[in-house]
Amino acid sequence: MADHSVEELAPTPGDRATRFLKRADVKQTTLFFIFWTALFVVLGIYFYPKWMPTIMSVEMKSAEKIMIWFTVISAPIAGFVLAVATTAFMNRHRGDTPPPDGPAIRTNGPVVAVWTVTSLVFALVAIIWGLTEMNGQAVAAAKDAKSAITIEVRGSQWVWTFNYPAQGIETHELNLPIGVPVIFDVKSADVNHSFWPVQLGVKVDANAQVTTVIHTTPDKLGPIDVKCAELCGLYHAYMETTGEIQSASDFDAWVTAQGGHKA
Amino acid sequence: MSHDTEFHVHHDSDAAVGRRERLGVRLLIVADGSFLFSMIFSYFYLRNLDVGGNWLPKGVKHFSSGAAWMVAIPFVIAAISHRMGQADKKTRNLTSIVTLLVLLVGGYIQLHQMANMPFLLKDDAGIVTFNGAYASNWVLMAGTGVFHYFLGAFIALGILIRNRTTNLPHELDLWRQRTAQSWFTWCAIAAVLTAISLSII
Amino acid sequence: MSTLDKAHTSSRPVPNPKRSLITRLHMGTGVVVGIIFAALVYWALKNSLLTYTDKVADPLSPHDNNIVLLGAMFAWSIGFMAGIGAFIGPWRWLIGKDLTDEEILYLAGDGQGTKRYFKYCTDHKVVGIQYLVGVMTLLGVGGTMAMMIRTNLARPGGHFITATVYNSLVGLHGITMIIAMIIVATGPFGNYVMPIMIGAYDMAFPRLNALSWWVLFTAIPVLCSAWFLGGIPTGWTAYAPLSIQAGPGMNAFIATIIIFAVSTAVAGANITTTVIAMRTKGMKWNRVPIFVIGSTISVALAIPAFPTFMVSMIMTALDRTYNTGFFDANMGGSGWLYSNLFWIMGHPEVYVILIPGVAALMEIVPVFVRKPLFSYNAAIMGFAGIAGLSILVWAHHMYMAGWAPSLNGPFMVTTEMISIPTGLLFLVLIGTMWRGKPWMKLPMLSVFAFIWDFMIGGITGIYLSDVPADSYLHGSMFVTAHFHFTLMGAALTGAIGGLAYWYPKMTGRMLHERAGYISFWMVQIGFNVLFFGMFMAGAEGQPRRVVDYAALFRNSNLISTIGAYSVGTGMIILLWAVIHSWTKGKIAPMNPWGAKTLEWTVPYPVPLTNFDELPVITSDPYGYGKGK
Repeated sequence: MADHSVEELAPTPGDRATRFLKRADVKQTTLFFIFWTALFVVLGIYFYPKWMPTIMSVEMKSAEKIMIWFTVISAPIAGFVLAVATTAFMNRHRGDTPPPDGPAIRTNGPVVAVWTVTSLVFALVAIIWGLTEMNGQAVAAAKDAKSAITIEVRGSQWVWTFNYPAQGIETHELNLPIGVPVIFDVKSADVNHSFWPVQLGVKVDANAQVTTVIHTTPDKLGPIDVKCAELCGLYHAYMETTGEIQSASDFDAWVTAQGGHKA
Repeated sequence: MSHDTEFHVHHDSDAAVGRRERLGVRLLIVADGSFLFSMIFSYFYLRNLDVGGNWLPKGVKHFSSGAAWMVAIPFVIAAISHRMGQADKKTRNLTSIVTLLVLLVGGYIQLHQMANMPFLLKDDAGIVTFNGAYASNWVLMAGTGVFHYFLGAFIALGILIRNRTTNLPHELDLWRQRTAQSWFTWCAIAAVLTAISLSII
Repeated sequence: MSTLDKAHTSSRPVPNPKRSLITRLHMGTGVVVGIIFAALVYWALKNSLLTYTDKVADPLSPHDNNIVLLGAMFAWSIGFMAGIGAFIGPWRWLIGKDLTDEEILYLAGDGQGTKRYFKYCTDHKVVGIQYLVGVMTLLGVGGTMAMMIRTNLARPGGHFITATVYNSLVGLHGITMIIAMIIVATGPFGNYVMPIMIGAYDMAFPRLNALSWWVLFTAIPVLCSAWFLGGIPTGWTAYAPLSIQAGPGMNAFIATIIIFAVSTAVAGANITTTVIAMRTKGMKWNRVPIFVIGSTISVALAIPAFPTFMVSMIMTALDRTYNTGFFDANMGGSGWLYSNLFWIMGHPEVYVILIPGVAALMEIVPVFVRKPLFSYNAAIMGFAGIAGLSILVWAHHMYMAGWAPSLNGPFMVTTEMISIPTGLLFLVLIGTMWRGKPWMKLPMLSVFAFIWDFMIGGITGIYLSDVPADSYLHGSMFVTAHFHFTLMGAALTGAIGGLAYWYPKMTGRMLHERAGYISFWMVQIGFNVLFFGMFMAGAEGQPRRVVDYAALFRNSNLISTIGAYSVGTGMIILLWAVIHSWTKGKIAPMNPWGAKTLEWTVPYPVPLTNFDELPVITSDPYGYGKGK
């Protein structure tokens, strides 16, 4: 399989490995590999938590986890590719005439095979991770359905309206009690919108005539933002509102103040 | 092919040119096939969604499945008649007329149906609306049918005229006929697929 | 049809078929006939749709107005094509008087100098140059729009432009760039260089070649007319029902896409046929240069992809003119139908853009590293794998649409499988570099930039493909940054590398090196700063396509705008270099890079029929290297 002519004749695989590892470009590549891998790991671990808003639900947590961990997992692969490229770059040829020919490596079966298997494994990890998370969220949603409060969300150009049927109120701000599962039934009065309570990490489009559903459970007190994530015309940018994740008593007080009643 | 004394254009062998032309036409047919796929996808997707029960609102009339086959059959006949005249120039003198006439008749039927759509809704202000998603899909498929008839008739007319006026080498002529056959056969397949879809209302 | 013979020497007579109409037609007559025809159709439709009573005061209803405008736009396109002589061939076929050899040579622009660039010229090299100029124009227009967008977003509450203009800019920047990027490599290089690379006299269908360019040309004024009709509010995705509600500018968008789809289908069939049927003797499939393979896979993928976009646009047009209800939920339609059709085109389309750029770089690396392409088969499997999977992943753009939550899982699986063939592309590039000493010329620099940019684009793509992460990131600036890293950082970088590489063959002169280096670094550094800022804004929670944003996103947006100015300046320098070098650059030798593909064996200017004698191929063009 391997292209034997590439290496000088070597008596044993062990010798060949030793000689391979001693080569200057291999050492260089290894160093760059460590550097780039570390850099990507740091980038992933440092920046995403720093940038992302307060995490106020399991769904948001899982989004952040994926962004960090996928960066970390892919760091060695990125590190390897960039290391080879950097090594080549460091050994570059200057001048106005082409460099001398390099070794005639046409292909290398084991390398291609290992590479393909690695990327397959990587893809499988990503797939299984994603499916597991999705499944977990679906199971939790089904379990919580009974105790959940339902909120009918209506998007219209360019306002969000929230109807709390059990409480009998309709508002433009999204207040939710902490720890209580919530089901959003989302609809549009006109064109497509996308309902995005930012800190809760969930999102679904609002369509005319059909209802789309998402679930989440807020698990942290504090203010939240609600935005539209689908271009919906002139004032798309301003189709946003705020809300708050409140304690049960604060929520009840708010509902009463809005003219509603306890569910 | 004329051969001036002064100007020489490189001509590849007839078979090479013929095969090449047919490949090009078939690739364009792939594009047309994707167009057809999109329409059939749309038809069954909206039918399946039936948003608000408005695929075919209550009381709205629709075409019978026979109507859909009425515009498919001419394509099938055209494909067969073209096939019959493919190899022989003399037979083609007759078949090319048949092909052209059949396509013209089919195109007329298609246009006639479009002029008599039963599902239009006219409001007080005189604005006409297509009542239901079925109606929308029907008119798009019919429009595509008209396009196929028009292009088919153009090709058939060309074959009819050229059969009398030009004298291509036999092999190239045969390849050209095969190329045209690809188009006619495809039109027949497309029309049948459309008719099957429209039969499932 | 027929390819042109080599039997011409300098003393040969210049074809001038005086009695033929084709000698009198050119771009100017095209424009005149196009405008007259459009005006006639406009006038006729308008008068037929107005009733006697409302002719006095009432304007047309919006629906009727859409009919009039769309009619005029298509009339312009058809009229132009008639006026430039595109229908002469089909007409002469119909009446049985095929074009004479003299006319065929005349159409090829034989002996017509620069005039042939403004005619319905069938020479693939002329078409290649036309595409190059067209692409640069589109990129310039789209880039200017991008600068206006970024200027407005430099600080929160920016009022450089109004919300209406901003929304239009977002959409028109998008579609202009998408069109430009689809043709950026296959247009200029696919037409100019590729037939020479495979050792062909010309393309398989020279007249269709001219058709594809000029049809595309007619789309440009149509697209520009969107500005004068009030712009488009929908973004380039033109989601229904927003597009149904939109004003008259939307018609320009619809007409552009339909015209463009015709051009793409024709060009795709032509290029694919050429490569399949016209390779020279000895050029077996395993000896075809990788750029040819990549471009062919790309255009072949475009053939089935674009008609679905065309259908969705025809449906939009019907909804807007004749009151059908494809996308109107009150009439049994659904916006989900639109998004499905759009993305069935849309996802293959991004690979239509990406693959030729990567393939151009794969052509470059062996030449500048002086090593054979590493694992030619892996490269082909990579392209083919991407092309195959790309038609099965469209709904990952619709995870959050709610149209079919149960399908999110399957689409996530197919989407993430794409990382495997994509990985092969990286392997081929770095494998070729391994143990090599890259010659640091402009084309090679692009390869390094590509690897970095596409790596970032790829990794961020993995989060987006995972549903739970996408449920946060979808529709945010993060997505915008991601696809700019893949389309601009990867595909455009590849195309610029291709430009630097093939420029000597296309213009006979070397590209200004110093200007090229300055531009490269300004663009690449600026680009990374720009989209670093945008990743930041997206992760912070800024939706995309917003004219204004909260103070929270102040820093990230400022970073982006600073980067954008660097990119803009760098691109202007590149444009200057291209224009300057075209006439004043250093004269290029026949084979400045010492490459082994066929295009470097022909002189500049390339003879009408490319080769005196068709070459015979005995090996692939990557026979570099010591040892074996």
